[in-house]
Amino acid sequence: MSHTVVETKALEKDYRMGGQHLRALKDISIRIAEGDFVAVMGPSGSGKSTFMNMIGCLDAPSRGQILLQGAALTQLSAAALAKVRNKYIGFVFQQFNLLPRTSALDNVLLPLLYNNTPRDEAKARAQACLQLVGLGDRLDHQPSQLSGGQQQRVAIARALVNDPALILADEPTGALDTETGLEVMQLLQQLHQQGKTIVLVTHESDIAAFASRQLLFKDGNLVSDRSSIPHSAAAELALLRQQRIKEVAE
Amino acid sequence: MNSLTLLQVAWVALRVNLLRSILTMLGIIIGVAAVIIMLALGAGARYDVDQQIKSLGGNVFVVFARGRFMGGAREASGSSQGLTEMDAQAIEQQISEVNVAAPTLRASGQLIYGNLNWAPEIHGVDNKIYTAQSWELAEGRSFSDTELASAGRVAVIGQTVKRELFGAADALGQTVRVNKMPVTVIGVLKGKGQNTQGNDQDDLIFMPLDTVRKRIAGMTLSSPKAVRSIIVQVTDERDMSIVEQQLDSLLRQRLRITDNQSGFSIRNLAEMVETRSQTMQIFNGLLAAVASVSLLVGGIGIMNIMLVSVTERTREIGLRMAVGAEPRIILKQFLVEAVLLCAMGGLIGLTLAVAVSLGLEHFAGFTAIIQPQVVVMSLGFSCLIGVFFGYYPATKAARMQPIEALRFE
Ligand SMILES: Nc1ncnc2c1ncn2[C@@H]1O[C@H](COP(=O)(O)OP(=O)(O)OP(=O)(O)O)[C@@H](O)[C@H]1O
Ligand SMILES: [Mg+2]
Repeated sequence: MSHTVVETKALEKDYRMGGQHLRALKDISIRIAEGDFVAVMGPSGSGKSTFMNMIGCLDAPSRGQILLQGAALTQLSAAALAKVRNKYIGFVFQQFNLLPRTSALDNVLLPLLYNNTPRDEAKARAQACLQLVGLGDRLDHQPSQLSGGQQQRVAIARALVNDPALILADEPTGALDTETGLEVMQLLQQLHQQGKTIVLVTHESDIAAFASRQLLFKDGNLVSDRSSIPHSAAAELALLRQQRIKEVAE
Repeated sequence: MNSLTLLQVAWVALRVNLLRSILTMLGIIIGVAAVIIMLALGAGARYDVDQQIKSLGGNVFVVFARGRFMGGAREASGSSQGLTEMDAQAIEQQISEVNVAAPTLRASGQLIYGNLNWAPEIHGVDNKIYTAQSWELAEGRSFSDTELASAGRVAVIGQTVKRELFGAADALGQTVRVNKMPVTVIGVLKGKGQNTQGNDQDDLIFMPLDTVRKRIAGMTLSSPKAVRSIIVQVTDERDMSIVEQQLDSLLRQRLRITDNQSGFSIRNLAEMVETRSQTMQIFNGLLAAVASVSLLVGGIGIMNIMLVSVTERTREIGLRMAVGAEPRIILKQFLVEAVLLCAMGGLIGLTLAVAVSLGLEHFAGFTAIIQPQVVVMSLGFSCLIGVFFGYYPATKAARMQPIEALRFE
C-alpha cells in the first residue's frame, strides 16, 4: 500500500445560513494515496468544493479529522494553515485566479515569495514550471495577453512550483472550451504520470474519465468510490483535431 | 517575503491606479508642504531676528534719559541732571565688561538739497557709534576731533538719504541744508536694509553731538553735555546681567537718585526684538493648526482609499492566502502600501514646499530656511500617518478568511 497523502475521518461540515443549518458534508472518511488521480463528481451543491476546500486547508471542518501527510490539521492557526498550504498544496481554480497586470513568471513564483526562496532560485523554478506547461516563451506575458487555456496553464505552473504533495483543481476546465479543456486534462495526466497526486473536481463524466479514481458526492454524502482505467486525454485531443480537419476539408 | 518584494508589490498596486493614488496623496502633499513652508518661514524669521540682534548687537544696552527729553524738547529741569557724555565715559571706564559706550542725541529736521527735501532721523553721535551699532562707512570718513569739538557742520548720511537726495550722483563734499543750516556730507554709511519690523534702518544721518545739540535742537540744556541715550556695548554677551546691574548702580550714583524714582531706563535691544517675534509664533501656531487638520484629512483619505483597495482586491488577498501568505504578511503588504502612498505624498509635498519657499524668497522677499531635521521629521511623520491610518484597512485584509475571500464577487 502506497504512502497516504491525505486522509479524512468522519469529516463533516455545517453551514449556518440565517438560523438554518445546512450540512454540506456528512461523515466523509476517505484516503488518498500518493500518485492518485482522483476525480470528485456530483451534481451542483453536492459538496464537492466544500470537500476540496477542507482537504486544501482553506476551510476548517465542523467535525472529524483531516490528516495531511500523516499530521492532523485541527486547531492550526491561520498562519500555520498558510504555511501548510504553501508547502503541501497546489491550487488550480476554475477562474484561474491569476494576478492581473503581473507577468506569467511573477504569477508562477508567487508561492515562492511566501517561503522566502531566494529570488534567483525562485525565478529558475518558475521558469522551469512554465516550460513544463508549454509556456516557456510566454514568461513576460500578462494574463490579459494570454488565452484562457494559457492562463489555466500558468495557474497549473503556479500550483506546481513548490513541488506540493497534492494538487487540487476545482473545475479547471469549467471556463474553457472542449479543446483547451482537453489540453489542460492532457497536462494533468502528464503530471499524474510523473507521480503527482491530483484531486480534480468536475461535474462532467467525460473529464472525470481521465482520472484513475472517481468519487461521487450526493447531498454531502460520498455515495461511490471506484477506480478505473483512465481514458487518454492525448488520444481524445488527437481525435478531436482530426475531426476538425475533416470538417474544414468538407 | 522580504521587504524589497513587499515594496515592489506595493509599488505595482499604486501604479495600477496612478491617478487615484495621486489624488489620495493630495491631502498629505498639502499638509506636508504647509508644515514645511510654515517651519521654513518660521526659521527664516528667526534667522532675520538673529541677524538683526547681531546687527544691533545682542550684547547691547540702550540707556535712555527719562523725563529730561520728552519728544526731544527740554522739560523744566529739576535739580538732578539728565544723562551726559560724561556718564558715557564713566560707564566705559568704570565697568570693565563694557567695550564701548556711545552717547547719542536725536533730533528731527528737514534736509534740503537743490529742490529735493527729505526728513530722515537725525542722530547726534561721536565716532563710538560705529562700534556700538556696527555701522561701517561705504565711502568718505568719520568725524575728526576738531569737528566733534567745535560742532562742525558735517554729516555722515545713510544709504536711503543718499539715494533720495543724490541718486547715483556723488554725495561726498556736497552741501545740504539741515533746518536751513548748510552741512557738508563727509561720509556715506553702508546699508543695513530693513529690520524685522520692516523699518528702514538706513534712513538717517549722523552729525557731531554738539552740532545737533546746539545748532539743530537749539536746546539750552541743564547740562551742556546732555545726551538722550547711551548705547552700551558689552564685550562678552554672557556678562549682560552683571553689566545691567552695574549700569544701574553706577547711574543711580552719578545722577544722585536715591529712592525708587529713576531718571533713566536700561533696555536690552535683543529682548525688544524677541518680544516682537512672539507675535510671529502665534501666527505660526495658527498655520500649524491648518497643517495638522490637512494632515488629518489626508490620513483619513488614505484610510478610505485603502479600504476601497482592500475590498477591490479581496480575491487577490484570497489567492495570496491560498498560496501561502500568512495573515501578518498580508497586513504588512497593505501597511507598506499605505506608508508608500504617504511617503510619496510627503516627498511630493517636500518638493512643493521647496518650490514655494524659493518663490516666496525670490518674489515676496521672505526669508525661508528649510532645515534638514524638518525634512527628515516631516517625511517620518508622513510615514507614521501611513502606519496609523493604514493599520485598520490592513487588519481588515489580514483577517479575511481565505475561502470567503476567494469566493468574493
Ligand atoms: N459559504 C457558504 N455558506 C453557506 N452555504 C454554503 C457555503 N458554501 C457552500 N454552501 C452550501 O453547501 C453546499 C455544498 O456546496 P459546494 O460549493 O460544496 O457544492 P459543489 O458540489 O461544489 O457545487 P458546484 O458544482 O455547483 O460547484 C451547497 O448547498 C451550498 O449552498
Ligand atoms: Mg463547486
